[in-house]
Amino acid sequence: MSDRAIIQQVLAGDVEAFAQIVDRHYARCARIAVRIVGNREDAEEAIQDAFLRAFKALDDYEDRERFSAWLTRILVNQCRTVLARSKRRDAVFLDLDPRQLDFAVDAEESEGPWPELDRMLDRLPAEQREAIVLKYADDLTYQEMSRITGAGESALKMRVQRAFARLRALLQEVPNV
Amino acid sequence: MSEFFERRVARALRSDVPLGDELARRRVMERVRHAAAEGHPVRRRGEPWYRRQRHSIVGLTLAAGIGGLSTLSAALPGAQRDAGARLGAVVIGDTVVGTLHDTLRLVRLMFDAPDAQRVEVAGDFNGWGASPTPLVRDERSHHWSVTLALHDGEHRYAFVVDETRWTPDPRADRAVQGGDGRIYSLLSLSRAAN
Repeated sequence: MSDRAIIQQVLAGDVEAFAQIVDRHYARCARIAVRIVGNREDAEEAIQDAFLRAFKALDDYEDRERFSAWLTRILVNQCRTVLARSKRRDAVFLDLDPRQLDFAVDAEESEGPWPELDRMLDRLPAEQREAIVLKYADDLTYQEMSRITGAGESALKMRVQRAFARLRALLQEVPNV
Repeated sequence: MSEFFERRVARALRSDVPLGDELARRRVMERVRHAAAEGHPVRRRGEPWYRRQRHSIVGLTLAAGIGGLSTLSAALPGAQRDAGARLGAVVIGDTVVGTLHDTLRLVRLMFDAPDAQRVEVAGDFNGWGASPTPLVRDERSHHWSVTLALHDGEHRYAFVVDETRWTPDPRADRAVQGGDGRIYSLLSLSRAAN
């Protein structure tokens, strides 16, 4: 069943059908939220608030936009709210030296989770971190990213490029990367 | 290093994170069911922008139909109360806007939203979204409030939270359903209320 069909079911009064939306999108939201806000506790708060706001505003969803992109927009706003409220991340990661982190990965086999990368993401300016996460964690187009963030496409491309450059700079003395 | 590094980063960002177990998803649905019990999501297709905002929980305490200015002024902040008494005027938000007379009532609205940054009331008495009246936050109680001067008659209204979320008032005496299927808070003022 498509997201659109589930939404119609919910709007027709079947509240429990919304659980399918939650199951379908939670993992994707988690990929985004954890990497934007920098810790699981705040990410879960942002995700819960995002799903709740999406449910309340479900009738505002319009078919011309992918539901996942619409939900991501709500989630990013919640992440921004959480970030604005929380100062914890600054204290946690401020003094980390990238050379102390273990980046010794097999160049050919390296796939999947990369915990150290999440730490390095946290050293990026918020706008760059948000852009690179949306681009790759959610496979969004720059057009979709523009609608979500309110920034122009060229600005977003620049942010992604700068995010990569910054990450490279942080890792420049780390071998095997 | 460059191309490999970018591919490596992209792959890592696409990988799942260990978050969102069954308990977390149940918590989402518990909140969803609670919201559903409060009337969400509300259908509002085809309405103007101020009626197509997301809803949230708000409250209103009504002190309508109060008989005399001395009684009414007790609900006002000091400076406003003084101005009101001196000028025979009433207050909307922070502004002295008119003269109190037999067909003008003072209504105090309250709103519980500790996380809101801005709360306004929009209704037929202020042009709906054209000129919403801001509520003032009490830093101790976190209640938002505003005192309105309204003429006798029926008034429809709603709150606008953070300039985006529009909601009827669950604590209003009455609510009406418009032809569009939406619920409006309804307030009736008359001399009989005194």
